[in-house]
Amino acid sequence: MSTPASTPRPSLRDEVRRALSEPLTTVDAAQSMTSDLSIDEELNLHSIGWEPVELVSAVSLHSIPYGYWNWGQGEIEGASSAHATAFLNATTRLLHEAGAAGGHGVVGVHIDRAVHSTFVEVSLVGTAVRPVDRTKRLERSVFASDLSARDFTMLMIAGWEPMGLATGASFVFAPRRTMSSTLQQQSQNVELTNFTEAMYSAREAAMQRMQEMAIDMRGTGVVDVKVHEGPMSFASHAVGFVAIGTVVRLASPTHQMINPTMVVSLNDATVAFDAQTLS
Amino acid sequence: MPDALSDLPEAAQRRFSQGSFSSGLSVSDFAACLDMGLEPVGLVQGFCAMHWGAFSMSALGRGATPFSGTQGGYVQNYQCPHGMISSDHRSWGQNYQQGWVEDAWRTGFNSAYSRMMEEAQTLGAHGVVGVIDSENPLSDTGVVEFHLRGTAVKLMDAPAPSATPWSTFLAGQRLAKVFEAGYAPVSIITSVASVRVWSYCVTEFLIEGTGGMWSNTTGAAEIHQIVDAQNQVRDLARTRVRSSLHGDALLGAHLEVSAREFSKGDLEFQSRLSGNRVRRFKDFEPLAVPRPSVRLS
Repeated sequence: MSTPASTPRPSLRDEVRRALSEPLTTVDAAQSMTSDLSIDEELNLHSIGWEPVELVSAVSLHSIPYGYWNWGQGEIEGASSAHATAFLNATTRLLHEAGAAGGHGVVGVHIDRAVHSTFVEVSLVGTAVRPVDRTKRLERSVFASDLSARDFTMLMIAGWEPMGLATGASFVFAPRRTMSSTLQQQSQNVELTNFTEAMYSAREAAMQRMQEMAIDMRGTGVVDVKVHEGPMSFASHAVGFVAIGTVVRLASPTHQMINPTMVVSLNDATVAFDAQTLS
Repeated sequence: MPDALSDLPEAAQRRFSQGSFSSGLSVSDFAACLDMGLEPVGLVQGFCAMHWGAFSMSALGRGATPFSGTQGGYVQNYQCPHGMISSDHRSWGQNYQQGWVEDAWRTGFNSAYSRMMEEAQTLGAHGVVGVIDSENPLSDTGVVEFHLRGTAVKLMDAPAPSATPWSTFLAGQRLAKVFEAGYAPVSIITSVASVRVWSYCVTEFLIEGTGGMWSNTTGAAEIHQIVDAQNQVRDLARTRVRSSLHGDALLGAHLEVSAREFSKGDLEFQSRLSGNRVRRFKDFEPLAVPRPSVRLS
């Protein structure tokens, strides 16, 4: 990053000396700010006129009645809806906290989620952010995004804005094979179509739900989608697929080209020390 | 130099007076420190071994009615909706803040911290950078060792410090950027909150996925008691840290939460929030919008 050329920048030593020689005067307690962002991320935010306000967190656990995972056909609706509700409740609490702290959004949300046999757990932690210019009113609902502050900065520079977190989850039974096909396939290398079809079914339902959430938020797309998939240790004949990402829309009339500068390092390749060459 | 109340070992005082320095900094962090005009003067450490004799009330503490002596901290009661009276049916539940656990933790951490800072003062340091803290069980007898260490630094060509040294978890370039961004380090901050959960029948049914004959009153639902405990334990740590900032900022915060189960329906959630308390000494200079680059290799 660079500063305007007209202002001569004091040396780092001078800055440190000034910082450490300033008397620790009392400051307004209401000005306190908490953030889990790195200083680089905070500088990134400042470069586009945003600043951190408050570290916010929220949790939700939703139960799944016993026995849902063992036998059945099609989607395990109790598990899918438990995941959706837990995520929705946690997100709602997070946004409420951020709004109460004066934030316009939450960036860098860390998502911890776990699916147990009898409940789903979702935990969110992030930093509420707002424009540095406090006169700017919040013109839309508070957003949450799992994009890092750096990615949020790049998104805004490119003329886009985050709208919120979208998720879709689906848990589907892989029907048990008949006794005869199990015996028949025991010594064969064959595709287990029941699992393949279950994965396809779970994927389509989850992606569809995430997309519906994105459309509800008036977004045009979802970026940085993370996918969690596969079997669960407690359910031998069920598969799950979860997709989570940040809904975005174009905030400016057109996409702003960022035209990155190409950088070629002129350093020689590092010669690594190898202890074996000593023998 | 330490006063009469100092508990700094005499051997440490002798070592500090021998005229060479030790440091926990990597070579690049060391170089960055010198660039900032900060001269390492010694690796300083503080220890405190705490005996965790009175960690909590055991499940035996569960009486017929909810516990009420929580030192004024967070407490929330949950009442069985079934009207069932049985030794197998948990007719009430409670979340409560374990203030004595937090106090014990604070005593251990603060003792280790003040001992580390005392070493820094002995060395005439202006601050301590690159602080690392850890807590480890010394044995299986409930003894926990708090250990803090960092590198004491002096501001080159500056008068001897007149105030308590500042401290920060940061070192090297990350610390340099903090100064450049207009912040001065004040101190590290760490806070722990502990919430105990004695679950009631509804929580138990929802966690286990069973309702038995009561399933029509539980069904699938959010597990409110655990959610309340989880949200509270985070909130308590954040509120305490915020109240100790006195208008300053907390950078690079790290929030972690752990859970443990003592017995069926008896849980503890512990949260720990740590970060760097910093104070603004100048306004943010207007920054140019970052220029994206692609590295070709």
